[in-house]
Amino acid sequence: MIRHPIPRPAALALAVASILVLIISYTVLSERQHRLNPGDTTLPTWSQLREGVGVAVHKNQRTGERWLVEDAKASLGRLFLGLLWGVAGALILGLLMGCFSPAEAFLQPPFSLLAQIPPTAVLAVFFVLAGTGDNMYVAMIAFGVMPTLAMTVHMAVKEFPEELQFKAYTLGASHAEVILAIIFHQILPRLLDAFRLAIGPAMVYLIAAEMVVGDVGFGYRIRLQSKLLNMSVVYPYLACLAAFGFAMDGALRQAQRRFCPWYQGSRG
Amino acid sequence: MKSHPVLAPFVACLAAFLASAPEVFSGPPSFSLAWSEYPSWSVFGVAHGLQLIDGREGKLGKIESKWNVDIVLKEAEYDPCLTMYGAAQCDAVCITNMDALNPALSRPSAVILPTSTSLGGDALITVDSIKNVQQLRGKKVLGLSKSVSEYCFVRNLELLGENEKDHNFSNMDPGAAAMAMQQKQPDVAAIVVWNPFVLETLNRRKDVHVLFDSSSIPNEIVDTVTVAQASLDKPGGKEFACAVIETYYAVNHSLADPATADDTLVALGEKFSHLDLASMKKVVQQTKFYSTPDAARALIAGKDLRGVMHKVVDFCVKHEIVAKAPEVGYGTKAEAPGAALRFDPSYIEAATAAK
Repeated sequence: MIRHPIPRPAALALAVASILVLIISYTVLSERQHRLNPGDTTLPTWSQLREGVGVAVHKNQRTGERWLVEDAKASLGRLFLGLLWGVAGALILGLLMGCFSPAEAFLQPPFSLLAQIPPTAVLAVFFVLAGTGDNMYVAMIAFGVMPTLAMTVHMAVKEFPEELQFKAYTLGASHAEVILAIIFHQILPRLLDAFRLAIGPAMVYLIAAEMVVGDVGFGYRIRLQSKLLNMSVVYPYLACLAAFGFAMDGALRQAQRRFCPWYQGSRG
Repeated sequence: MKSHPVLAPFVACLAAFLASAPEVFSGPPSFSLAWSEYPSWSVFGVAHGLQLIDGREGKLGKIESKWNVDIVLKEAEYDPCLTMYGAAQCDAVCITNMDALNPALSRPSAVILPTSTSLGGDALITVDSIKNVQQLRGKKVLGLSKSVSEYCFVRNLELLGENEKDHNFSNMDPGAAAMAMQQKQPDVAAIVVWNPFVLETLNRRKDVHVLFDSSSIPNEIVDTVTVAQASLDKPGGKEFACAVIETYYAVNHSLADPATADDTLVALGEKFSHLDLASMKKVVQQTKFYSTPDAARALIAGKDLRGVMHKVVDFCVKHEIVAKAPEVGYGTKAEAPGAALRFDPSYIEAATAAK
């Protein structure tokens, strides 16, 4: 029957089965490719993958660095700094737009236009604005996620119930108090939701930029090792990206549940 | 069961496919060549335009008919070409001698045709304040890691008696590096790029110059057509190699003929860059074609190649481009049976003897 719930153990079993299907399909594909060409490195066997992980995590003989550690430091640093700037900017501008009509009239047109431009397509502009160093990645991510996030904040403020605002004023709150104590709390869960959804695009911008101009980082390593056909290193890197995205998603949901317990309930 | 009206077109398509299938399967054997936009490789795109060969599957050009083989052209960026070849998605690939080592480890290959060598086509461009290689020490040099750019850089340092450790080569895509330099970004003082980026950068910025380039290492960076040994061993494999070789020399012929030279050159440069005819003439000087079978033989059968490949393999092992040194061989499969990468002049002989 449509939308009929199934018991929890059954759901769990199906979840495990789906992962198993993925693993088995890969094993079969890799097996088939190795039967065609025993020296193949494009669909590495599990033992080749283990070696690849070894290459990524062990100290490199020539440089004395651990690839995964260096890349994670570089990429995560850029990602978080970019997201931080993006969220901070979006919060301030979104609040301004939502609270003050002149700011709304002034900022909304550029934001609705900029939100449509994928930053990866205007890489050259970011080179001019921020050079090719770490600042470029930060600027690209920040400007990349800011328009969408700012619009989300803007919409959330607009939807904020007027009666709450009047109630606060009646109780003697100042403008600043209304914004910080009432509106901010109302929009926080929406901001967390939007932030969660912005991580995906932010990673796309970061990896794309690193593939072109990076000298360290996930995008750099994936491009270089793909060209050298070292897929045994590339796939573990992709697994790391997936794990990271998964963990961030979970952490932000947890944060939302913890800091805005009322929000889950209100959504039904 | 009654046929559903919506399904009718599909049934018709399926029937048409089945009807046409025997014709496809009984045609000449088909082999694919992956190529990317580069002067001596765009030759194959131009040959398709001239209908010497037809790059589509199942269609034969003049030369394909002669050898009774179907050449399928697959155009892509250079990196995807390498991936395609490594994953056995194509039979042959346009690749440099250096980049051919890595796929050859898992897919034994033969270089059947050298197309050109870089003779200034890869260059280190610095701002005018850096006047010599000593001043370059410690400065960031931007270029694509583990590529011919880095090779050209390191080899020139060697020739100038410099220690590689005193220099700082940092990865950046050549297109991006050239753009950064053309924008006069303050932290970009030196780049190693290839054409068209070399000429474009020099055209657009007058306060930069070439500190050194690949003209000091002639016949070391070699552009080739490389074919998988397994494909050569298939029926029609030899004919495929011969047809590719004949195509290459046919286009070179129109490049040498004053009546067609300029047109052919413009066609070669069409997608390569927006350089004008004068600059394209410079490009083909800096990317010197092995335009005759004699020139190719002189390289492949010559004594210098062994020394060069020794250096290239050494560089690739040191810079972790290959996990282990592949065995490089010279001559036919019978002459060098164990080689992972083999420079084989016999196909050029066969192609030219047939004329």
